[in-house]
Amino acid sequence: MVSSEIQRKYISKGPEETKDIGYRLGRLLNPGDIVGLYGELGAGKTTMVKGIARALGLDERDVVSASFTIITEYDTSPPFLHIDLYRVKSDEELDEIGLWDYLKTGNIAVIEWAEKAEKEITEELIKVKIKPVDENVREITLEGKYEKDRDNL
Amino acid sequence: MLVLGIDTSCDDTSASVVENGIKTLSNIISSQIEIHKKYGGIVPELASRRHIEMIWPVVDEALTNAGIKLEDLSGIAVCHGPGLIGSLLVGCSFAKAICYCRGIPLVAVNHLEGHIFSSFLEDPGPSFPFLALIVSGGHTCLYMIAGFGKYRELGRTRDDAAGEAYDKVSKLLGLGYPGGPVIDKLAQKGNPKAIDFPRAYLPESLDFSFSGIKTAVLNFLKSKKESRVKGQQSTKQSLVSSHSSLVEPCDQCPVTGDKSYFSLSDIAASFQAAIVDVLVRKTEWAIKKEHIKRVVLSGGVAANSELRKMMKEMAEERGVEIFIPAISLCTDNAAMIAAAGYQHLVSGNIAGLDLNPRAYMPL
Repeated sequence: MVSSEIQRKYISKGPEETKDIGYRLGRLLNPGDIVGLYGELGAGKTTMVKGIARALGLDERDVVSASFTIITEYDTSPPFLHIDLYRVKSDEELDEIGLWDYLKTGNIAVIEWAEKAEKEITEELIKVKIKPVDENVREITLEGKYEKDRDNL
Repeated sequence: MLVLGIDTSCDDTSASVVENGIKTLSNIISSQIEIHKKYGGIVPELASRRHIEMIWPVVDEALTNAGIKLEDLSGIAVCHGPGLIGSLLVGCSFAKAICYCRGIPLVAVNHLEGHIFSSFLEDPGPSFPFLALIVSGGHTCLYMIAGFGKYRELGRTRDDAAGEAYDKVSKLLGLGYPGGPVIDKLAQKGNPKAIDFPRAYLPESLDFSFSGIKTAVLNFLKSKKESRVKGQQSTKQSLVSSHSSLVEPCDQCPVTGDKSYFSLSDIAASFQAAIVDVLVRKTEWAIKKEHIKRVVLSGGVAANSELRKMMKEMAEERGVEIFIPAISLCTDNAAMIAAAGYQHLVSGNIAGLDLNPRAYMPL
């Protein structure tokens, strides 16, 4: 995609700022949108999900790690899916967890460890890459769908 | 009064018959650990399929072992959440179907409520009010329990559950799933003071946070890898080959004598100490804050030997009575669902046949 050359880059100085960027991104999401979160263990992916969830009307305290359940569905309108593919190892397992049924409908989905599914996802992802700079600081890059709307998050 | 309990909230299919909410007549648990091991955790879709296969035989065995028939039951208690939605659905549909065709009252039990009432299956059980700490792979929460149905949440995890931290760190160390038992065992041989992993006490509240510690373990492993590469020490061990596989343990570098090389058991012991410290200290804070004299510890992580030991020591120092059910009652089981279900039944809190399970369901 030629227009995707420019990436939107933000620097977060700590978890609260990461949540805040998540919140501002969350407010711009539409039903059917899929956000892919990229970043190593401890980068702050779940922290960002808390911010996104707050924008959708959830209490961020209710949003916890989804590594255990893999898919956590929240009763919002539209439904919000917090998906965490940390434990998933193969494409076959993506079928087994029922991922495709969840992504079909007009939900808003956030997928942690999205690299494990991106080849299989046909919809264009909103990609959020979180890179640790030091213990607290993170470089956050946004790419993909409606990128141009995200200049001033 | 006989109650059949059914729990399919996670990876274990369990059924149990309990008399009067306190006496376990049978408690059958069919574990799926072998199935999920290769995935490094529970795979929801696999779990629900397995529940479908296991539910009848498990319920059958629970009734047979208790020496009773369906018509002897005063009620069927089923766990309807929180848990994996597909798994919960199996137990709920099964319970509803039997209740409907046999005219047996149905009661719905919150899984966390079940963990609280597991303590009543031991003799002596606690009397109200008490503090309950529930720690498992999916939950870490503190409640004030004033009586049946009178629960006040004091704190819960803001990110990872304590058991989840065990599973994630176990994966980092290349020890597989589930992480609790293997880390607990390794930790016995290690030095808990070897590495000072951070403790997130969150002093302003009784909430927990266990996501930082897995990051700390990861950073620790990475720093060991880097220092080894930089220093070019020609030791026989390769401490970290990648994020997911560590290891040949070595207490001391055989060449340089460098003690910064920690054994796997030191890492396990230090990690475990950090988790247990936080759980015990925060329970202690809650005891002080609530001026409470009784504490119940339950959930899968309550099977951890160090946690059991440190909780007992703390309780003794504070002059508080502590109730920790047997390990088989701490991990997921249906006896606890039947025990809590009995309370619902005698309170007349009967569920309708339109009962639906919910994955997310605060107590």
